[in-house]
Amino acid sequence: MFTALAGTPLAEVQAALAEHGQYLPFDPPLAAAGATLGGAVATGLSGSGRRRYGGVRDFIIGMRYVDGQGRLVRSGGKVVKNAAGFDQHKLLVGSLGSLGVIVEVSFKVFPQPLAFATLQISGLSLASAIDTIGRLSTSHFDLEALDLLPAEGAYTLLLRIGGPAAVLPARLEHLRRWQGRGEAVADDAAIWQRTATFSWLPRGAKLAKAPLTLAALPALDAMLASCNAARRYIDGSNLAWIAWPGAWDELDAQLLALGLSGVALLGPPTEQPLLGLHNGANLAARIKQTLDPENKFPPLNGGKQ
Amino acid sequence: MPNSALIDALATFLPVHRLLRQAAELAPYESDALTAFRSRPGAVVLAETQEEVVRVVELCHRHSVPFVARGSGTSLSGGSLPVAGGVVIALNRLNRIVHLDPQRRIAVVEPGVINLDVTKAAAPHGLYYAPDPSSQLICTIGGNVAFNSGGAHCLKYGMTANHVLGIKAVLPDGAVVQLGGDSLESVGPDLAGFFVGSEGLFGIALEITVRLLPRPELYRTVLAAYHSLAAAGDAVAQVVASGLLPGAMEIMDNLAIQAAEAAVHAGYPRDAAALLIVELEGERVQVEAEFAHLLQVVEASGPYEVRVAKDDADRARIWKGRKSAFSAVGRLSPDYIVQDGVVPRSRLGEALAAIQRLSAQHGLRVANVFHAGDGNLHPLILYSGRTPGELERAETLAGEILNLCIELGGSITGEHGVGVEKRAYMPAMFNPVDLAVMNELRLAIDPKELANRGKMLPDGDAPSLTHPGIHPLEQQGVISRA
Amino acid sequence: MQHAIPVDELGVQGRFMAEAVDACVHCGFCLATCPTYKVLGEEMDSPRGRIILMKEALEGSIDLAGALPYVDRCLGCMACVTACPSGVAYSHLLTPFRTLAELQRRRAPMNQVARTLVKETLPYPERFRAAVQAGRLGQLTRRLLPAELQGMLRMLPATLPPAAPLPEVYPAQGPQRARVALLAGCVQQVLAPEINWATLRVLARNGVETVIPRGQGCCGSLSLHIGEAEQAQMLARRNLAAFPTDVDAIVTNAAGCGSGMHEYPLLFAGEADLPQAQAFSHLVRDITVFLAELGLAPPDGLPEPITVAYHDACHLAHAQGVTAPPRQLLSAIPNLRLVEIPEGELCCGSAGTYNLEQPELAAQIGERKARNILSTGAQAIATGNIGCMTQIRTHLAALGRPLPVWHTIELLDAAYN
Ligand SMILES: Cc1cc2nc3c(=O)[nH]c(=O)nc-3n(C[C@H](O)[C@H](O)[C@H](O)COP(=O)(O)OP(=O)(O)OC[C@H]3O[C@@H](n4cnc5c(N)ncnc54)[C@H](O)[C@@H]3O)c2cc1C
Ligand code: SF4
Ligand code: SF4
Repeated sequence: MFTALAGTPLAEVQAALAEHGQYLPFDPPLAAAGATLGGAVATGLSGSGRRRYGGVRDFIIGMRYVDGQGRLVRSGGKVVKNAAGFDQHKLLVGSLGSLGVIVEVSFKVFPQPLAFATLQISGLSLASAIDTIGRLSTSHFDLEALDLLPAEGAYTLLLRIGGPAAVLPARLEHLRRWQGRGEAVADDAAIWQRTATFSWLPRGAKLAKAPLTLAALPALDAMLASCNAARRYIDGSNLAWIAWPGAWDELDAQLLALGLSGVALLGPPTEQPLLGLHNGANLAARIKQTLDPENKFPPLNGGKQ
Repeated sequence: MPNSALIDALATFLPVHRLLRQAAELAPYESDALTAFRSRPGAVVLAETQEEVVRVVELCHRHSVPFVARGSGTSLSGGSLPVAGGVVIALNRLNRIVHLDPQRRIAVVEPGVINLDVTKAAAPHGLYYAPDPSSQLICTIGGNVAFNSGGAHCLKYGMTANHVLGIKAVLPDGAVVQLGGDSLESVGPDLAGFFVGSEGLFGIALEITVRLLPRPELYRTVLAAYHSLAAAGDAVAQVVASGLLPGAMEIMDNLAIQAAEAAVHAGYPRDAAALLIVELEGERVQVEAEFAHLLQVVEASGPYEVRVAKDDADRARIWKGRKSAFSAVGRLSPDYIVQDGVVPRSRLGEALAAIQRLSAQHGLRVANVFHAGDGNLHPLILYSGRTPGELERAETLAGEILNLCIELGGSITGEHGVGVEKRAYMPAMFNPVDLAVMNELRLAIDPKELANRGKMLPDGDAPSLTHPGIHPLEQQGVISRA
Repeated sequence: MQHAIPVDELGVQGRFMAEAVDACVHCGFCLATCPTYKVLGEEMDSPRGRIILMKEALEGSIDLAGALPYVDRCLGCMACVTACPSGVAYSHLLTPFRTLAELQRRRAPMNQVARTLVKETLPYPERFRAAVQAGRLGQLTRRLLPAELQGMLRMLPATLPPAAPLPEVYPAQGPQRARVALLAGCVQQVLAPEINWATLRVLARNGVETVIPRGQGCCGSLSLHIGEAEQAQMLARRNLAAFPTDVDAIVTNAAGCGSGMHEYPLLFAGEADLPQAQAFSHLVRDITVFLAELGLAPPDGLPEPITVAYHDACHLAHAQGVTAPPRQLLSAIPNLRLVEIPEGELCCGSAGTYNLEQPELAAQIGERKARNILSTGAQAIATGNIGCMTQIRTHLAALGRPLPVWHTIELLDAAYN
């Protein structure tokens, strides 16, 4: 585990961990762009690597934050396991600054895989991509990442594995044979860098994320395609990165119609960062009222019940 | 005395065999697996539908009667201890697996579903439910959610919170909310994550969406026997430093080995001072490669015997022994208290040595069987409730172990929860501001303090309990005795 | 667990009962295998709950009448004993408790009639036979009878096989490898005499000479398990006298009798007959255990290949810890494929007189077992107890899938040509 102040750049954290052969398994994106640890927590951002062990909510073990009444509060602990008290640090994940100012965070970390390799399966129809993801999900393959990207009228799946370099070729071959197709990607690091830095975003596009499940994928993808939105789906289609060409409230309405939720990440600031459908408002409101009774922090607006 | 207006209201929709009021019906619900505490509820409701649970909670709220949700009553911290005269809502009959979707790797279950039954239902699809408390063959998902339960195999894939995606819950005032959803991702504050581990203080989970994992292609399980507990503790640090990430890493000391052997004949080396169990899991080629590395690391840590599980049956025996260990210790002593403190893994050896010292000092035997990979200790303090003064001595010893964990930078509980048992130690771990915020959050969600009154938070009334010696709050001058 | 049981007031059995309560740490592991808990989902009908209830009743903090309905619903299947890591000897609590309770309870008159019938007929083959004949008449009028008696009648077969007296000695075939004495059983002897014959033939084929001592009778376990300790002692004494001790084993093919005879030392705790009871129970073996220890002569095979589900009789698996030997013997049959039943540790609901005393619950538990069996796709069922055989037959038939149910030894017998 490690503890760092919230303003510490992710890149710095990653470098320090790498010295000890460790890494942040939830693979926060935008590290190269200068994202900070506290920022990653407050926006609740995890990257493609979350496939293997889980996202930021799964690795945060403790926190100190300042609430709306100016109190420095500690939640959780500095050991990998702690069941004492309410886990307010979970609340601050994805809170977008509405509940408090994160000061310090503790994370559980894991040994970094020694090497990576990626199998690329291109030219899939959406239906066959969905079928493949479904079959992979019940197979015994341990994937570090499972991304789906639309490419030239078809779809590409990227299957990443990690481990001792000596066994990766054999594992990749098993995967390829099981799948019956696909080829090894020559430059593994570069292809994943593209996802992590969002360099695939068209110039001027806004960025949003939307949680989903495989079942919701066809409708969402059809909507995004018809709106000409570039997109990527990570973690076996549990999360969509959406490069939205239009206005935020258009995306809000579209997600709502699909029964999905989302959050606006990059682009013109909005008072309504939460998009689409939202639940738990009853509980969220009580929490907000407790931690920030005078609304010193921005409200957590947007989203419909 | 139970509130008769409430009982009358409950009786309008609950048949008499599901609204238990007779002494013989209530006695079996008086305690959970922490038998040092008992308290007779005014009534027990055997709920059969989610709507019934909501109605009972609404009525308790209206009549201001405290209630306690109950799964299988295996809490080791008195979590499901009833409030005297209050209502126990037993959820065992809410045990449907509502939905299981292998492609999406999720299952939607009612709270009374037994942990292992989720894995059994998922098995035909090559999937399983990862959190595996030793009590998994009987504890419920609802109880697991309340305590964020963990298990031997939570080292790699995390505790209950990491496997719960969505929760439909009734808040203590009867409001029904949906928290989280069925995706692995979420936006906005992680409300489901916040609910998990709240020890029933935020209301009752009615339906839980859990994620499932694919069953690994291969397991490799190693047993290493050591002449000292400290040596086994150090071996854990060496495995961690080697860059390997085992699925499980557990230690049992000699008392625990003896007890487990007597119970299930797991084939452990009976004379070992400590036994380390390490398990690798994953794709075959990789596990084989890592296994060779693991054996080197283990051999280098000075065990006097190393054994590898021969086959699935052998592996199952090894784990059955480990998982039976708590109960099996009942063979050594009529009563025990299990502690659940956590220390940084790097200080494991130190902590174990200190526990041995404290055990000798107080003249009480302590058995150790624990999640070493997480630094999550489980000292079992053996005593006999019938020997005058022994319970008090056991509690004092337990308190000293908790303080030790805090001093070493750890926690008073890793997975069993605070319950009634450890609430007096909360102020040693959290400062008054931290606790005040927790209390305010609780009051915002449950202004009448009805849900699991008297658990986890150090103040508030808990009439059935006393704490031996000076209460920590007293020490700090926060409260004083009349 | 702490208790304040007045150990000294309760005689020799008091200590046994207290020890069982002492050892229980209230962990709940036993709940998972308790059939009544599985069906009813309430703590009073679980082993842990019953231990509390019996403890409180013994301590006097709740009245016996309140506790008894739950204790009565216990099947005595002892699945909880197998499951308990803490080594709680539940039977040491249950059996004496039932005896105590029997002394104090006032039963409803009709229930009392049914019990007396059970007590006075089941242990005695001749009387049982007569009762069955009479019962057949009764089936016609049973709708007029109270529930307790209906339960009894429903279990009775429509026709009885002819009585087939066993010889006094059945010689070994080929060179003699061992000599054993066989307990002929009571109920089983009447309902399924062919099981004893199959046993004799398989033993002979394996080079074993069998004596069937005259003067033997019911093992007494039926009486013991319904709380009639005195009658049980009387029956047991008869067997202690009748059986020779210069044999290699006292063999039984009825799981219930095997476990009952293993309990003789408990039955005579603190009495003069204790040493004799101990010597006797040391010799007692289930037929499958005896054959597995002896080393089975390889069977030739059945006329047709078959898939068989083996059902663990509680009195074998839980009361005596016998699970491997019957499987081992069946697997030795070349064209027999053995499959396991889901929730295999659960009782089928027959458990001694349970069918007769708790007909409704027994039916629910029986149906659950039948469904689990059908889920395996097996073509037949093998098990080691006549009670289970009857119960499973009844419930498979009720589901419209009357698969054949055999005693393990019958399949072995058929596999030698
Ligand atoms: C022998 C033994 C071994 C154990 N091993 C482990 C272990 O390895 N790891 C571990 O973490 N724990 C372990 N435990 C502790 C215990 O099994 C867990 O805490 C378990 O989660 C409790 O589940 P339960 O169904 O028995 O809940 P209960 O004991 O009935 O209840 C526990 C708490 O949950 C609350 N609750 C129950 N249902 C709900 C609901 N639907 N919504 C809200 N609150 C609810 C109750 O009010 C109570 O506070 C062990 C216990 C025993 C006896
Ligand atoms: S398993 Fe044993 S110790 Fe645990 S509750 Fe049941 S009888 Fe008691
Ligand atoms: S003997 Fe059988 S029915 Fe009775 S408590 Fe034990 S498991 Fe349940």
